[in-house]
Amino acid sequence: MESSEGTSDIVHPEVRAHINSLVSALGGFSAEDDGRYVMGDSALEVLRDIKKWIRFYDEKTNRMDVARCLADANLVDGDLLHILASWPQNATDNRFKARAALACFEIMVPLTWPLERNHEEMTVNHHRHMPVLQLAQVAYKRSIINFDAAQILHTAVRVALPSMALPRNNRTPRDEGIIKLVLLFLRNMAMISPPPNVQYDGDESHISRSALIDAFSFQDILLTILTLASNMGEDFNHEGVIVMEIIFHLVKRVDVSKLFMDEKQLGKTNANELTSLMNKEAAMHRPHNRKAPTRHNRFGAMVWVQRGDGKMSTISGQDALLDAATRKQKMDDSKTYRPPRRARKDMEPKDLGPVVSLNARARQQLRGFVEEFLDSGFNPLFLNVRKKLDDGKEYVFGYHYQQFFYLVAWFLEAQRARTKATKSSQVAGGDDVGSYNLVATVLNQEMFITLNRSMSTSLEGKNWQELCAAMRCFTQILLTVQDMSESGNEDDEEIAENILSRIFYEEETHDRVANIARNYKDQGFEYLDSCTELAHTYLRILEAYAKQNVDMQVRSRRRIRRKKAAKAAVADDANPAADDESENDQASAERTTKERKFDFSRFAARFIPQGVIDTFVKFTKYYQDLNDAQLKRAHRFFYRVAFKQNMSVMLYRADIIHLFYSMIKGQQPLDKGCGMYKEWEELVKQVLKKCIRKVEERPALIIEMLFSKINATAHYLEYGYEKQTIAKS
Amino acid sequence: KRDAEASGLGIDEAIAVHKKPRAPNVKLDEHRLLSDNGIPKLRKKAGELKFKGKGHEFSDTKQLLDLYQFWLDDLFPKGKFLDSLAMIEKTGHKSRVISARLNWINELKPKATQDSDE
Repeated sequence: MESSEGTSDIVHPEVRAHINSLVSALGGFSAEDDGRYVMGDSALEVLRDIKKWIRFYDEKTNRMDVARCLADANLVDGDLLHILASWPQNATDNRFKARAALACFEIMVPLTWPLERNHEEMTVNHHRHMPVLQLAQVAYKRSIINFDAAQILHTAVRVALPSMALPRNNRTPRDEGIIKLVLLFLRNMAMISPPPNVQYDGDESHISRSALIDAFSFQDILLTILTLASNMGEDFNHEGVIVMEIIFHLVKRVDVSKLFMDEKQLGKTNANELTSLMNKEAAMHRPHNRKAPTRHNRFGAMVWVQRGDGKMSTISGQDALLDAATRKQKMDDSKTYRPPRRARKDMEPKDLGPVVSLNARARQQLRGFVEEFLDSGFNPLFLNVRKKLDDGKEYVFGYHYQQFFYLVAWFLEAQRARTKATKSSQVAGGDDVGSYNLVATVLNQEMFITLNRSMSTSLEGKNWQELCAAMRCFTQILLTVQDMSESGNEDDEEIAENILSRIFYEEETHDRVANIARNYKDQGFEYLDSCTELAHTYLRILEAYAKQNVDMQVRSRRRIRRKKAAKAAVADDANPAADDESENDQASAERTTKERKFDFSRFAARFIPQGVIDTFVKFTKYYQDLNDAQLKRAHRFFYRVAFKQNMSVMLYRADIIHLFYSMIKGQQPLDKGCGMYKEWEELVKQVLKKCIRKVEERPALIIEMLFSKINATAHYLEYGYEKQTIAKS
Repeated sequence: KRDAEASGLGIDEAIAVHKKPRAPNVKLDEHRLLSDNGIPKLRKKAGELKFKGKGHEFSDTKQLLDLYQFWLDDLFPKGKFLDSLAMIEKTGHKSRVISARLNWINELKPKATQDSDE
């Protein structure tokens, strides 16, 4: 804190004086009875005053001065936590203490409220205080989670317990408010994380996800969440959305596949990961070491490169002597010109934060929670939240949609991982764990309506994060249904069959999946990953399904122009007066939905256009950072294009050929130890072989390889004749 | 005050400021691409290309890529290979380039149709 003289304070000095006097009136550590905390005489009134300051100064006038002063005055760590600690378990009936505790939480909730940078409403004050307050919030979280004298989170639940115990229709608005307050407090605790691009200069382990899960588990918060979730819709109703938020911040970015491994497996995977990373690093160094100069850096070799037409280029440095590829690379690297373009984005999604790694204990606790949640809370909670989202309640915000889809996808994946884990450990084991009833609420028709609607609105509104979450959710649903259809249980297989037929009945969905894959542009890697994953899964499952059900029908919106024209002609001849009416008919006829036979090859042809190919090429460009599953996805796609649909012409473009070539034989090739290397090598070889043959066959391809092909020319280049001539005849 | 001082030094006469127009950026656009040094040269050079065929996929591809790289380095020396390729791809959507591309394909076509007729 700065002294009142000297440099002027950033907040109004009177505000600071008021706040400081309030905080000091709240209480303090007594000099007698070995330094216990003693509350001031009118502590309750003081707490109420602080609350009023926050509400009527900060919130009404949209400043953050009071919050800043309170952070400077060390209110949370120095006073509130100690007041809460003085309300022990055995004094729960003490009304005075209970009221003081409630007042403490009423102050802590606004203080820990997530700070958003929303540029329209930000004032100078926001810019001034926000960086300090963000760090202050991290400090709050640390002291609340790690407070030794009392379980603060548990105390929070105790505050709400009397209200929660009442039946739902007996609760007063005040009771509802208390429950909401406490849940929001837990939400804030789960949500606070060090601001991005700031180096946190404390011990990370005090505020990490592991510490949070540990605290939640130790103080019985996980049990509370489970209770709330499994009684959602009965004893609780409006709280569903907040409970979902808490769970979201608890599990976001946690790797599902690692969660359900036992110790031995996990140790093995971690070791494998380490060795593969070290191998990767060694592989990165190897070409560099081999090509590193053997003499000092002023040795000064200079090389002429003969390049036809009697022209020469000069390159300096002894590594130019190594081989032609290095020389080419050096010539290219010496160029400094960069075409104007947007900044490249990170691979990490910014809105979700970095990947979380949990320690063994936290993993165990979280796993227990996830299993129990799947067994009891999944259906009631997500049914409740879905209804709330559909109704568009006033307490539902835009980001709730994203969180909902993210969580559904996450838990579906967890359920699949768990089924797999139990299956491998005991062959013909319990049916209840593997049962798909546990996740039934997200596989019904209403869910698909919500999902489809959200996908189309977020696509129109260019809300990529929400669309990304929805795509992941859709992918997981497809995978779950596929697992169901192979489960061996007759009922499950029948249900899966029904679901699939419903999913694939609407042609609109087919169009949307293809369109999303075609129109990727600068939405970041997370989006790229999820849209390629969706396209891959969708194609694969639809192919299998169409093979099984040969005469599959789809509902398509197609215009029937010719019919309309004929009808109009007839109407004109017969009865010119009835023109008006028939006009309406035509309009509706134009919009009628028609059923028609589904043709997989026609559907797959939608994934041939240049846009889709470009999307997958952009995805493959990250080949050094992709894992096996992702590489496999790209591999299957290109394989399908080149060999199943015979449109390898679409791949004959200089940059794509360059990418393929450098993946195998380039300066930074794919790691040879990587599982997908062999398959990729074979694919690339075949594509290149076909390409060279085509170039010899049709010299025009030399030029066409520079450009994206038009459909007609592509067809000519592939088959040697025009497609149009066939279409006309 | 400033005027008085300035006039003493004889620097009060207005100096005509000629804004020298900046040299225009060299662009890899359709004009450059369709000029003599552009695609026509590439076609000529491509005629000299000899592929080894089966079993030499990678070395053949390398030859092909080298051809493009050296040609592009002559055509647009300041751009990197992949950047230049992207720029050329972009010009491919211009109507002038499209018609030129169709012409190039058609030039090679009559032979093909004659072959198939006979």
